[in-house]
Amino acid sequence: MKRFRRHGQESQRDRLKQELFAFNKTVEHGFPHQPSALGYSPSLKLLAIGTRSGAIKLYGAPGVEFMGLHDENAAVTQVHFMPHQVELVTLLDDNSLHMWTLRGHNGLSELLEIGRFTLTGPPGAPPSVTRVTAVLAHSSGELLLLGTEGGHVFVVEVPGFRELEERNISLDQIASSVPDDYIGRRNLEHVEALQENPVDPDQVIIGYGRGLMVIWDLEKKLAIQHIPATQQLESVCWTEDGKYILSSHSDGSYCRWMVGGQDTNEEEKSDIPYGHFPCKAISKIVQLPTEEGPPFLLFSGGMPRASYGDRHCITVIHGKKHVALDFTSRIIDFFVIRDGPEHTEPSALVVLVEEELVVIDLQTEGWPIIQTPYLVPLHSSAITCSHHVSTIPLKLWERIFAAGKHQNAHYSKKPWPVTGGQNLAPDPPQRDLLLTGHEDGTVRFWDASGVCLYPMYKLSTAGVFHTDADPNDNMNQGTEGEWPPFRKVGCFDPYSDDPRLGIQKIHLCKYSGYLTVAGTAGQILMLELNDEAAEQTVEAKVVDLLQGQEGFRWKGHTQLDIQEDPVMFPAGFQPFAVVQCQPPAVVTALTLHSEWKLIAFGTSHGFGLYDYQQKNSVLIKCTLNPSDQLAMEGPLSRVKSIKKSLRQSFRRIRRSRVSLRKQHQLQEANARLEAELAEMELAPVQRKIEARSSDDSFTGLVRTLYFADTFLSDSSHNTPSLWAGTNGGCVFAYMLRLPSVEHRADEPVTAQLSKEIQLMHRAPVVGIVVLDGHGAPLPEPLEVAHDLARAPDMQGSHHLLVVSEEQFKVFTLPKVSAKMKLKLTAVDGSRVRRVGMAWFGSSRTEDYGESGLLVLTNQGDVHVVSLPHVKMQVHYPCIRREDVSGIASCVFTKHGQGIETPAHTFLPLFYWGSKYILFRIQHQQYRCVSKNAAKHVMEHALLNDESEYKGRRIS
Amino acid sequence: MNRSFNKSQPLRNPNCNAVEVKSKYGAEFRRFSVDRVKPGKFEEFYKLILHIHRIANMEVMIGYADVHGDLLPINNDDNFVKAVSTAHPLLRIFIQRQEEIDYTNFASNTITRKKKPVVALRNDVNRKRPHIRIGMPQDFRPVSSIIDVDILPESHRRVRLYRHGSDKPLGFYIRDGVSVRVTSHGLEKVPGIFISRLVPGGLAESTGLLAVNDEVLEVNGIEVTGKSLDQVTDMMIANSHNLIVTVKPVNQRNNVVRSSRISGSSGQSSDSNGSTGHMYVNIGGMPPSGAHGYQDDLESDEDNDVVIEKNIKRPSQRSNASLASSASRTQHQNPTTTSGSAAPPSPPTRPLSVVSTASFHSQQSLNGGSHHHQHSSLSYQFHKDLNLQHNPHQHNPALRHSNGSLHKILSSLKTDPRNSLALPRGGVEEDGTVITL
Repeated sequence: MKRFRRHGQESQRDRLKQELFAFNKTVEHGFPHQPSALGYSPSLKLLAIGTRSGAIKLYGAPGVEFMGLHDENAAVTQVHFMPHQVELVTLLDDNSLHMWTLRGHNGLSELLEIGRFTLTGPPGAPPSVTRVTAVLAHSSGELLLLGTEGGHVFVVEVPGFRELEERNISLDQIASSVPDDYIGRRNLEHVEALQENPVDPDQVIIGYGRGLMVIWDLEKKLAIQHIPATQQLESVCWTEDGKYILSSHSDGSYCRWMVGGQDTNEEEKSDIPYGHFPCKAISKIVQLPTEEGPPFLLFSGGMPRASYGDRHCITVIHGKKHVALDFTSRIIDFFVIRDGPEHTEPSALVVLVEEELVVIDLQTEGWPIIQTPYLVPLHSSAITCSHHVSTIPLKLWERIFAAGKHQNAHYSKKPWPVTGGQNLAPDPPQRDLLLTGHEDGTVRFWDASGVCLYPMYKLSTAGVFHTDADPNDNMNQGTEGEWPPFRKVGCFDPYSDDPRLGIQKIHLCKYSGYLTVAGTAGQILMLELNDEAAEQTVEAKVVDLLQGQEGFRWKGHTQLDIQEDPVMFPAGFQPFAVVQCQPPAVVTALTLHSEWKLIAFGTSHGFGLYDYQQKNSVLIKCTLNPSDQLAMEGPLSRVKSIKKSLRQSFRRIRRSRVSLRKQHQLQEANARLEAELAEMELAPVQRKIEARSSDDSFTGLVRTLYFADTFLSDSSHNTPSLWAGTNGGCVFAYMLRLPSVEHRADEPVTAQLSKEIQLMHRAPVVGIVVLDGHGAPLPEPLEVAHDLARAPDMQGSHHLLVVSEEQFKVFTLPKVSAKMKLKLTAVDGSRVRRVGMAWFGSSRTEDYGESGLLVLTNQGDVHVVSLPHVKMQVHYPCIRREDVSGIASCVFTKHGQGIETPAHTFLPLFYWGSKYILFRIQHQQYRCVSKNAAKHVMEHALLNDESEYKGRRIS
Repeated sequence: MNRSFNKSQPLRNPNCNAVEVKSKYGAEFRRFSVDRVKPGKFEEFYKLILHIHRIANMEVMIGYADVHGDLLPINNDDNFVKAVSTAHPLLRIFIQRQEEIDYTNFASNTITRKKKPVVALRNDVNRKRPHIRIGMPQDFRPVSSIIDVDILPESHRRVRLYRHGSDKPLGFYIRDGVSVRVTSHGLEKVPGIFISRLVPGGLAESTGLLAVNDEVLEVNGIEVTGKSLDQVTDMMIANSHNLIVTVKPVNQRNNVVRSSRISGSSGQSSDSNGSTGHMYVNIGGMPPSGAHGYQDDLESDEDNDVVIEKNIKRPSQRSNASLASSASRTQHQNPTTTSGSAAPPSPPTRPLSVVSTASFHSQQSLNGGSHHHQHSSLSYQFHKDLNLQHNPHQHNPALRHSNGSLHKILSSLKTDPRNSLALPRGGVEEDGTVITL
C-alpha cells in the first residue's frame, strides 16, 4: 500500500516535529557514581570530584556546576588545582595526566580539557619508572612535580606539559645522600608524598614509601635534610609556618619533625593516637593553626585494627576537643576550608566518602553538619519509587518547607562554604517537588525546581507500625567516655531494618495536600498535612483481595502490625487512615482522587477502592488467575525456589542411591547427574518463544489504576469511573456512583463493573488514559477547579488509550471498539517501560502545542507518540540499554499550562540511579556546560510510575 | 503399465476434453461428463450431481477416488479442479448423505481394497504403510506454510506458523550465535540469532520446517540484525499469534527448487503447489485463502480483543419502572456479591450460545423474547471476527462466574477463531436487541 505524500505538508510537519520534540540532556542531580578523587581550589572556591568512570565534576556556590568527561574510560585517581590558577590537573588510572581549564565564553564559563600528557621514561625502562604516584602542583603555577613508583621525581612545565629533564630529581641523587645508617636505604620504594614548603616555594619534601623523607631544594638541586622515618609512609604535611613536618604511617602513628639545618634529625614527637593495640594506617594527616588557640589536627584512619578496623573515621583534635567522626562509607579524601581575613582560620571540613559529601562546621560549638545544597545522596536509603509533582501551590510549598525546617534543626546555621562562581540562572519559574520513597519507609521531599535538588522534608511512615527498629539509633552522640570518641556523621544508611516498610507507590494531590503512600507489605497510608505536631490513632482497614479464591496460601512476609495506641506525629504529613491488603503483597498500583475522596490500590492479587472520607472499602476485585501459583509466593520466593531445586536434586540423588544397589550403577547415575548439570551450565543463553497464555504467572498483577470522568455507559452522560489494567493485558472499568456533596459523608459510594477488555496480545497494561473530545488527556482532579487547566471537552466523543508493554491502542467510548493502534514490540523488539503524558508547546507561537505520549523503552530510547492518532513522532536514545536500574527509575514529568513560563518548550524527564539526571526535550540547543546550567523546569506530573514487574514470558 | 489402461477402454473420443464421470449414490450409478479444461465451479458441479441423482433436497458429501485409490472429498473449487484434472480416465464419484457420512472411509487407502488384483503390487506397498486416516476438511486448518518462495533467495525459507486455535505451544528456543556473511571485504563473522531447541510435540517441531541451528534472519518481515536476543524474543512473542520467521536452514538440501517444481501431495517440506509459492502443509479441505499478504491477516488477527460490556443502568435512569424491577431482580438473585457491582447473572438453565449487548432501552423485551433463558443483565459482546467455538458447555460456565471470568473465557477461546463457526452476525446488533436461542 503506497501512500502519496504531499511534500510540502510533510516537511512542514517535520519542521514542527523538530521544533516541538527536540531533546537534550540537561542536568544531573545527586551524588556521582563511584567518586574516586577530590580536589579544592581555595582561590576559586571550587571543589572538584573525579569518578571511577573518568568524569570530573566541579561544584561551587549552589547552582554552579561543571562537568567534564575524559575520553579514556579510566578512573580519576587524583585531582589538583593549580594554585591561584583556573587550571586543574587530573591523574587517571592509566597514568595519563590531563589539564582542564575554565574558560569564559559569552559571560559564562565552560570546563574544557586543554592538554594531556603521559610521562615517558628512558628507553627500555620498566613502566614503574614513569608510573605516577604523587603529584605536586607547585605554587608558582608553572610547575608540576610528579613522583613515580620508581622513586624518581619528574618536573614538568605547565601548561604545555614540557618535561624539564634537567630539573628531575632522580632516585640516584637522593640515594647517594642518604645517611649510611638508614636501614631502608637499599630500597626507598615509590614516592608517596610531595609537599611544598608553605613559606619557601623552592623547598619540597619528598616522602618515600619506605619512610624516608627528603627536603629538596629545587633551585640548588640538592637535599637539604633527610628525615629517617622507619615506618611505611602514608602522608606528609608541612605546617603552615614551615617549621614542622608531620608524617603519618601505616602502623597508625604520626610523627612531627622539626625542619632544621641538622641532617640527623630526631623525631620531635611521635604518637599512636588510638594505640596500645595494633592500629590501621593513618592515610592522611593535616595540621592547621588558628588565629588564637591551639591548632586543628585532622587525620583519617588510625583506628584500632581489631575492634574498629571497619570504621571509616576522620579524627579532629582541637585543644581538648577530640572527636572521631564516623562516616557511613569509605573515605575518599578530605580538605579543610579556611576563611577569616587572612584565609587561615579553619572553618569547615569537607569530606568525600564513597556515598556522600559531608561538610562539618568547625567554628560552631559541637561541630554540626552543614546541609549540602547539592550532591545529596538520594539513595541514602535505597530508593524504591519516586513521584514528581510540579507547579506546587505556594501555600502547600510553604507548609512543607516549614515542616522540613523543624527537622533540620540539628544542621549548622552557617551558609554553604563552597562559594565559587555565581549562579546566573533566573529563579525557577515555579515550584516542583520530587518525592522519593525509600526502603526504610521514608518519603523524602526534594525541591526540584532549579538546577539543584534540595532536600525539603522527610516523612517517616515507620511510626505507624510496630517494628523491631529503634527509631532513634542514628545520629547519636557517642556515649560519654567511649574511646575512641565516635560521632556518627552522614545520612547514607543502606540497611533497612524491616524491608516491609519500603515505600512502593506515592501519590500527592498538590491542591488538597492529601498524600497517599503504599508499601511492600500491602500497606496503604492516607496522610494529610498538619502544621502542628499531633497525637493520632490510626484506623486500619484490612482488605481481603483474595475474595474467597481457594487453594492459595500466601508464602511471603506477614503484614505489618499497626500501633494501636495513639502515636505522636511531628508537624508535617500525618497519617489518618491505613488500608492493609491481605495477602500483604507489594502494592503495585496506586492512585488518588482528592475530589472524589477515593483511593484505588492494586497488588498482584487484585485491586480495591477505598473511600477515605467514610473510611470504608467500596470495591474489592480479585484479579488472580486460578492457575497462578507464583503469585502467592512472597518476594522471597526466589530464594525458596533455589532451595527447592537444590532439595529436589538431592532427593534425586538419594532416590537413585536407594534404587540402585550396585555400586557401578550408582556411579553411572551420578555421572549422568553430573553430565546433566554440566549440560545445564554449558547450555548457551537461550530464550523460549512462546505466546502468552491466560495461564501465565502474575497475569492478575495490577499494573495501573486510573480515575476518569467519562462516558462509560452511554454517550450522553458522563460518570465517574475507575479503570484498572493488569499484567495479563486485561482492563476493567467500573462505573462509580458518588453521593451528592451534602450526603457525601453518609451515603455510600458504589462501584459497578461496566466493562472488561482483554487485549489479545496479553501484554501487561502499563497505562490507561481517557482522551477528551479534542484528543487531549483529561485533566487531573481539582485542576479545573483551581483554574489551572482547561475544562475537558465533554461534547465530543471520548477515547480510551490503553498502553501495553507492546503497543498503544485507542478505543472508542462508550462502546469499546478498537480505533487505532501502534505496535512497538512487534516492529522493533523494544518494550514500553515507562509512559507519561506531556504537553509540547511551540517555541515560536505561544498558543500552539500538542499533547503527546512519552515512552521510555527497555532499550533506553525515548519515543514521542502523538495523540490521539498514536503516530510515532521522534525517538532519542536516552539511557544506555544496560542501565536497567536507570530505565526502571525514570520518571516523566509533564509541561504544564505554561503560565508565566518563557517560550521554551520542553519536556523533562527524570531518571535516578544513584544519581539523578534531568533530561529535557526542548526546542533549542541548550548548553549544559555553562557556569550555570539552571533552566526552567516545567509542570510535571506522572502518569505512571510502575516499577519493574516483569510479566515477561521468557523462560 | 498404466493400470487404468486395461480397465478403461471406453474412451470413445481420446481427443475430446470431456472427462467421463461415474457417480455412485447408494446403489445407483449415473454417468455423465465434465469438461477437463474448464470444469466450472464446485457449486455448479454439486447442483449437477444433486440434479442427476434427483436428490435435490439433501445435504450430501461428494467424494472421489484419486489416482492412488484414496477416497478424497470434493468440497471446493480447488479440489474439484484437482479431481477433474487428475481423473484418468474416469472420475469416480461417491455420494454420501451428510448425516450418514462415515468419516472413517476417508482415508488414504480406503478404496484400494476395492481395487482389482491388477494393483496388487501397489497393495503390497500399501500394506507396509500404516493406515492413515484423513479427517474431514473442516477439521483441517493450516498450521504452517512456506511463503514468498518466489521472492526469497533459495537458501532462505520463510515459514509462517499459525498458532491460533492450536493447543500446541510454539515450542522453540532461540540463542545468540555467530553467522558468516559474505561482504565486500570477504567473509565476515557477524552475530546472529539461531534456533537452539525445538520442543518435542510443539508446533515448530511438528511442521518440520524449522530445525535446530537454523539462523533466524527476519521476524514478520523485520530483519533481526543488530537486535539483541531479548529484542528478537520480544518481537517473536509479540507476533506469536501469527509468526513469520525467515530462516536460513542449516540443512540446505531440502530447499524449494523453483525451476522445476516437484508435484506431490504428501505435505513434505519440498512441496510447492501454488504459483506464488504458497504451500499448505495440510492437504485437503482448507480453501487456500489466496495469496494474501500476511500483513492483512496480521492486522485482522489481532484486533480480537475481547470486550465484555456490562450494561448498567445509570442511576439517573432508575425511574424507569421496568428497568428498576429487572435490576432489583438481578440484585435479588445475587445477594452474596460483596460490592454489588460484579453481580453475575444467575446461571441460565441451559447454556447460552449467543449473547449480545443489551441496552437498557430494550430490556423490556428481554423476558418476552427468550424461550428458555432468563435474561441476564450481563451481556457479552464479542467484537469483530472473534468467534466462539461452539462448545457452549465448555465456555458458558465460565461466563457465569463473572469473577475472574476473563481467564476462563479466554482459556476457552483458544480454539481457532477463524475457522470455527461464527456467531450469526445477522442476529447480533451492536447496541440493540438481545438474541436468545
